Amino acid sequence: MGLVSKPPARDLFKRYDAEEKAALAKRYTPEHMEAIEAAEEAIDPDDLNERGVIRSDWGSLNYLDDFSQMQPTIDKRIKREGPVDPKERLMTPEEYAQHHKDYFMKIMDENDVPVDFDRDDPEQLKKLRPNRLDEFKSWDEVPDMIGSNGPLKSESMLAPGVPRDFESAVDDPENARKAEEDEDPRDPDGRYALLMKQTGLTMDEIGSYKIKVLVHHRVVNQTRLGKIQSQYILAIAGNGNGRLGLGQAKGQEMEDTQANARIQAIRNMQPVPRYEERTIFGEVEAKVSAVEVKLMSRPPGFGLRCQHLIFEMARAAGIQDLAARVPRSRNKMNTVKAAYEALMKQRIPDEIARGRGKKLVDVRKVYYGGRV
Amino acid sequence: MSLVHLANVCSHLQNASKARLGLTSIPSTNQLLTLSLALQSSGFLSSVTRAGLTPPLNTNITYEPEPVTQENVSSRRLWLGLKYWDNRPVLSEMSMVSKPTKRVWMDVESLGRIVRGREAGFVRGLTRPGECLFVSTDRGVMEARECVEKRVGGMLLCRVL
Repeated sequence: MGLVSKPPARDLFKRYDAEEKAALAKRYTPEHMEAIEAAEEAIDPDDLNERGVIRSDWGSLNYLDDFSQMQPTIDKRIKREGPVDPKERLMTPEEYAQHHKDYFMKIMDENDVPVDFDRDDPEQLKKLRPNRLDEFKSWDEVPDMIGSNGPLKSESMLAPGVPRDFESAVDDPENARKAEEDEDPRDPDGRYALLMKQTGLTMDEIGSYKIKVLVHHRVVNQTRLGKIQSQYILAIAGNGNGRLGLGQAKGQEMEDTQANARIQAIRNMQPVPRYEERTIFGEVEAKVSAVEVKLMSRPPGFGLRCQHLIFEMARAAGIQDLAARVPRSRNKMNTVKAAYEALMKQRIPDEIARGRGKKLVDVRKVYYGGRV
Repeated sequence: MSLVHLANVCSHLQNASKARLGLTSIPSTNQLLTLSLALQSSGFLSSVTRAGLTPPLNTNITYEPEPVTQENVSSRRLWLGLKYWDNRPVLSEMSMVSKPTKRVWMDVESLGRIVRGREAGFVRGLTRPGECLFVSTDRGVMEARECVEKRVGGMLLCRVL
């Protein structure tokens, strides 16, 4: 089970050897070095091995990042390395134009116009260089600053890590044909195509979600031409690991409406706060119309002792221990909505403690090295 | 000691939080003062200041309230600073447990059950996260958990969330 065959802690947390210490001494003062050595003495590797566990609490990152790659939405852009060049300046428009001209001239030299070039033939026109792709690339590559050692490319205004995929920006019949060939057999009608395009989800991910239609009934609109019937569908989608969404759809055709409700549910997936990834935080109540739902947290191994609609929602969200009461009206649609509202409006103990300015410790994470 | 003032204060503080007030006033009585201080030490209130009918100009630490005298005692009010966090009031619900016509006293054993989230003597347990119950004991107004720690029982005043 990995408990017996664990390597000794000293192997995991090695002491600095003489070479490493010499390298450290170059950067740190003797006082610092003394402090580093004292810290090395003071910290027990066995204790570090017990306590230095990977965080799994609320608020920890849900991935292990070694920070070796840039993430455009999280990271700040990188400043150019090295010392600041005092002579650095922007190019004058003439210089800038000259550099662009050189860039394009080079391309033209490398790609000679064929002798039998026909300007009216669109096929041949496409092969002519420089083309639109070269224009895009020139913005990214041609320098726009002048330093003491010649022309420089200034820092990009784009966020770091934004892919410089200029090929896809240019219309390419080859790519379009490829996309058609890649059509997934699990989604022959292309119902999920737009969803996948907009959210970046793959068919594998969509297939792994727990999607279920919980409520469907007939609704009628009375017009002067008569009653117009349609179907109302309420679906839930969850990833079984802390995300849950509700989707509603109305329409004439049963199948289309169901698909729409499912897609809406996937779109609306939101994180549900879970205590220890198995139950909820304390007791929550919510009311939608005449339906009141009360959800209660329960100890490990209790199971999902609640009515079928809330059971399905809890299972989709990845909650294993839960009790629920629906004391008043039990309308199906409103029960689902109220249960969703209750799950979403849980108060997190950490947030309450911050609001009150109190220190809060979960004792279950203190004993047994946090491995309960 | 009447609980009518306390009942009014419970409703008033709920209304004031819903209206997002930063400062509000309640009648100045010894019972309400000790309860306010207990609320403040539990982190529900940012400040408790005794002043006249107009709010105190400065509620920071160096503020020295006017001494209470025979002349001004009737015009004293307690000015409470309300807290908000994450766009929500810190004190959102406050309701009486003892009523003016029916007081509820409780010993330590029953209080212990309530603190652990079980029901005791027709009083619901503290099951919602962050819920507090304030108890009037002969050692002053205390939070129920503190009562259990100090092994004292008393009259249940109000539950706060």
